[in-house]
Amino acid sequence: MSALLEVEGLKTHFFTRAGVVKAVDGVSFSLAEGEVLGLVGESGSGKTVANFSILGLVDPPGRVVEGSIRFRGEDLVGAPISRMRKLRGRDIAMIFQDPMMTLTPVLRIETQMVETVLAHEKVSAKAARDRAIDVLARVGIPSPAERIRAYPHQFSGGMRQRVAIAIALLHKPALILADEPTTALDVTIQGQIIAEMQKLVAETGAAMIWVSHDLAVVETIADKIAVMYAGRIVEYGRSGDVIGQPAHPYARGLLDSIPSRTTPGQHLNQIPGMAPSVLHLPPGCAFQPRCRFADAACAVPPPIVDTGEDRWARCVRPLAPEAAL
Amino acid sequence: MTPRPPHVALERVSKVFTRKPDFAERIAISLGWPEPPIVRAVDGVSLAVDHGEALGLVGESGCGKSTLGRIVAGVHAKSGGRFEFEGREEADWSTAEAKRARLDIQMIFQDPMSSLNPRKRIADIIGEAPVVHGLVQARDREDAVAALMREVGLDPDYARRFPHQFSGGQRQRIGIARALAVQPKFLVCDEAVAALDVSIQAQVLNLFMDLRERRGLTYLFISHDLGVIEHLTDRVAIMYLGRIVEVGPTREIFAGPAHPYTQALLEEAPRIGRGRRVYAPLKGELPSPLAPPPGCRFHTRCPYVMPVCKIEAPELKQIAAGRIAACHLNDK
Repeated sequence: MSALLEVEGLKTHFFTRAGVVKAVDGVSFSLAEGEVLGLVGESGSGKTVANFSILGLVDPPGRVVEGSIRFRGEDLVGAPISRMRKLRGRDIAMIFQDPMMTLTPVLRIETQMVETVLAHEKVSAKAARDRAIDVLARVGIPSPAERIRAYPHQFSGGMRQRVAIAIALLHKPALILADEPTTALDVTIQGQIIAEMQKLVAETGAAMIWVSHDLAVVETIADKIAVMYAGRIVEYGRSGDVIGQPAHPYARGLLDSIPSRTTPGQHLNQIPGMAPSVLHLPPGCAFQPRCRFADAACAVPPPIVDTGEDRWARCVRPLAPEAAL
Repeated sequence: MTPRPPHVALERVSKVFTRKPDFAERIAISLGWPEPPIVRAVDGVSLAVDHGEALGLVGESGCGKSTLGRIVAGVHAKSGGRFEFEGREEADWSTAEAKRARLDIQMIFQDPMSSLNPRKRIADIIGEAPVVHGLVQARDREDAVAALMREVGLDPDYARRFPHQFSGGQRQRIGIARALAVQPKFLVCDEAVAALDVSIQAQVLNLFMDLRERRGLTYLFISHDLGVIEHLTDRVAIMYLGRIVEVGPTREIFAGPAHPYTQALLEEAPRIGRGRRVYAPLKGELPSPLAPPPGCRFHTRCPYVMPVCKIEAPELKQIAAGRIAACHLNDK
């Protein structure tokens, strides 16, 4: 499989009055055709900014200061806006946490979907409408031919997210960027959307980056997982490897924090302290002040260490795999 | 010796939300237009929480779990039914009893930012209520606040700060300290960890477990997160559209749910370590609480639906020791 997307040393900084916020500070990964990458991290870890950087959606005072984002070999950093407009929605689609970020409340679903089709293709309005209805049916909206006439507020939260997914799929994108698409939904509706996305990714062969704070959700859908902390990927590997045998102490701490992995009633193995402000990162390893394995060696920026086949961790001393985890 | 009555007992409690029609609507109604719709957020719920017990309340948005929690905490008045505190019905409370019951049950909210006054210092947020209620002398206030802050894991040096100067996890700790200030025995936690990051959530959950041990607290823990519920509670009640569909010991329900809705919830909640799997989700949407379906409210989405489910609402029946469920499947 060739790489569809190659992100190299990406740095997105925000130049605020209080100082430079290094939201994304040296992120590298690659994504093969049809591969699903789960980008996991807590709030402020830079996962959403990394995703937005790919589509060129970072607004001032933020900008990409370094690195490259190669999509099918073409560098998107510094690409003209006209070029980005061609790619957005056609080759790279985005699904947001809140579907109302995708949908305008004042237009019918039909108008919004037809417009999206016509933005990239010269087809008749009739053909565009037929395609919209077809895609709505594929994401599981009942009686799409009638429902397409509705306004966004006439749909429930789960249905709106389906419409947003349908709009993302209108042009058969090669890459879908999903930013916490199920976080705002109820458990049973979240299950429906995950099932729908699993099916669609398998059918269309699209690659996807699924940003989430929820490791359990990511595990169900991703081939690879990248764990972010303070603007950097601290661990990367196959989904089963990272969840089963985390090598970075932060990834391990995150997993230990999930209640269902500990015997009910037992104390959770918590990570002490809280995430550092990205304005004042500690020197060396950013996780060092909270890490129970930290020592003098952690005062310098940690190297990237291969921890197995197709996986690595940014840690001086990655954890050895444990049999009983 | 007579057995000690439950800490809090609800009997067929309901809560109806109505909207008063405005002037134009009153004219329209007098001309034969329909009255504004009413919402039965909680519909005939019976539930008892024993002293020192941690009861979980689970359900999806709009199922009435928060409303029920607010009725228990005294934030909402119930529309019908009985509310007993240590065996005494609310209507029979003397002024002293009412005060004791209200102080004894405290609530912790989901969003600490909207439940903490942004213009007050932490010392005032935590220290005001116990002084007003005469639990702490005004001159001892500072010490009491410092002790409470230490108990929830905050540095007492920060007592002069304002809520916005704290992180989300710390703000939640402030909310917990404020609730503890009036020496309650019963905490209603409404999605108290839902807004927190995983690593911070673990810290706050540990705090809840410590407090329970140290102060012998009773918990009503409302959450949509089944992992949290499984970890923290002894018993769990599952709600769907204003009604309780199943109650039982947490461990038994997680091992073998009886109600089809509980089964679906447990099946669909993503849980770590299950690997990649294909979802077979529950079909359909949550019906609107404005127009709940007749009969069993779950019948529109139930994979085992029978003709009787569409007509007759199932009663909560005992299905095993300490376990009840409302489903017609159990009648056979």
